[in-house]
Amino acid sequence: MNRALPEMLHCLNTSVGNLAGNCTDLTVLDRQRTRIKWQQEQFQQQQQQQQQQNYFASQGQQLQGLINGDLRLDQVVTRSLKVDPGLENGWPDYGKFPLPKTGFCEESTGFESAGYLNGSAFEMNYAISRTASCPPAVAEAVAAVADGKGKESIVTEKLSSAVGKESFKKRKADKAQNSKVVAEDDSRDKRIKGCAEEEDSKMTEQNSSKNNSSSNSKNNNNNRENSGDTSKENSKVSEVQKPDYIHVRARRGQATDSHSLAERVRREKISERMKYLQDLVPGCNKITGKAGMLDEIINYVQSLQRQVEFLSMKLAAVNPRLDFNIDNFFAKEVFPACTASFPTLGATSSEMANPALLQLNQLQQVISCCGLEMGMINPPDMGLRRTTSAPVSFPENFLDTSYFNQIQPSTTWDADLQNLFGVDIHQGRSTPFPSQPFTDNYES
Amino acid sequence: MNPQNLSLNPTSIRSKFTKTFLRALTRINNRRPPISPSREIYQRYRRVKIAADASMASAVGSRRTWSRAILWKIRNQRRYRALVSRRISTHAMTKRDPRENYGREVGHGSADELRRIVPGGEAMDFCSLLGETAHYIKCLNTQVQVMRSIADLYST
Repeated sequence: MNRALPEMLHCLNTSVGNLAGNCTDLTVLDRQRTRIKWQQEQFQQQQQQQQQQNYFASQGQQLQGLINGDLRLDQVVTRSLKVDPGLENGWPDYGKFPLPKTGFCEESTGFESAGYLNGSAFEMNYAISRTASCPPAVAEAVAAVADGKGKESIVTEKLSSAVGKESFKKRKADKAQNSKVVAEDDSRDKRIKGCAEEEDSKMTEQNSSKNNSSSNSKNNNNNRENSGDTSKENSKVSEVQKPDYIHVRARRGQATDSHSLAERVRREKISERMKYLQDLVPGCNKITGKAGMLDEIINYVQSLQRQVEFLSMKLAAVNPRLDFNIDNFFAKEVFPACTASFPTLGATSSEMANPALLQLNQLQQVISCCGLEMGMINPPDMGLRRTTSAPVSFPENFLDTSYFNQIQPSTTWDADLQNLFGVDIHQGRSTPFPSQPFTDNYES
Repeated sequence: MNPQNLSLNPTSIRSKFTKTFLRALTRINNRRPPISPSREIYQRYRRVKIAADASMASAVGSRRTWSRAILWKIRNQRRYRALVSRRISTHAMTKRDPRENYGREVGHGSADELRRIVPGGEAMDFCSLLGETAHYIKCLNTQVQVMRSIADLYST
């Protein structure tokens, strides 16, 4: 393909000279027509392939100036290659383009030759920018040109057509193209969608930048004879359009306007926190999907709140009988080492069934004899179910025995209390801490 | 013999909550019993529950939205109970959150429910709601562990 480059350069120079010779005193419409005619001549010669590459290289070069993302250039050129059927309908003169058969090969060559064909790129840019301000007689051609600029081809759409419709078609076309593209990973699909969005946003910016390019092309009108300068001019154009995108941190093919950037940041933050919550909530790892995870989180939070209610009820029921040695437990509880290890508790947790049973009987009777409403009876039951499902320190027979003994008469109350006292006093004496001086020290 | 030296991490939320909650428990236990014994347990339960919530929230501090909301709620409940008649205060107590209908958007069923559950989550956006939920879950876990160990100590 390198051997074809001098020919292409020659073709480019002739085109520049041709256009410069013709369009000095013609109107814009005539200039357009002469350009079409010239292109027809070029096609009837045996340079169809090269001309196509030339054209698409120019498209790619122009888009490089516009989008400033040379990473995306290959995608853009591929799209403009695929554009051809649409152009065939919209602009019949272009119907003589041979349809591209090997997209990526020609794309790569077009990309290589893009550096050499800056003049042609600028020429096309100039023609487009001039025709953009034409009366509606040329509007169809304008639409075809604008579509050919890598915007994705929609058949003879006016420039004023609805953008949403266009973008819809774009996405469909992108997906079709995606199925054709060989050796691309799955993330390509996402990126292409981002591309479509980005081009939506670029549409307005490009329209605004057309004035810029047209003014630069007027400068270029003087210097048209020496086509070596046109590459510099073109780079100047891309430099002028650069500061619009310089602060954007987006990966390849992602949308770069501020709203979608903020939205992306928000989505990343949400997914990161969701992941953190997934680690935090047990049993949440198997669930996929945000709604199921939210339900699981809600259930977990509610179960924790019910556990707190149940435990506070338990403490409220237990406390007044144990006033005399609360200081002892206060001392024990302040030591987190003791709290963490709980040696005596670990020793007695295996035979804890009996005291726990007594405790629960007491609690149930307290609630029932207090004459509270049924809404108050329910939370301990719920809490019981939760605590038995939780893997902490409650024996398995806790729930069964408690429900079995729920309708015990209140005459066993005092006996249970006596047992409880005995256990507690014993427990308090078996603690290895010098509790009394310590609590005095702490409370002082 | 200073307990601060013996504790593993005195500035951790767990030990702060334990200290505050046990102090509140002793205060509750030292309170003389009310006249009517039928409501005694219920009132004690309310007090213990409020003490647990308040000590948890004050252990966390005012950095988090949920702890601020809990403290605000408790303070307002106390003021209500002092000022307004008993009927209104019981109404406010049975209702889970008095600001339940405040600033709630329609839609997003589960997210909305999460907003209702997490205290102070009504006026949050979804992103910070998730962060608050994570912290709230961690603190609730700590609260449950400490309270369960205290209850086990009492009951054994």
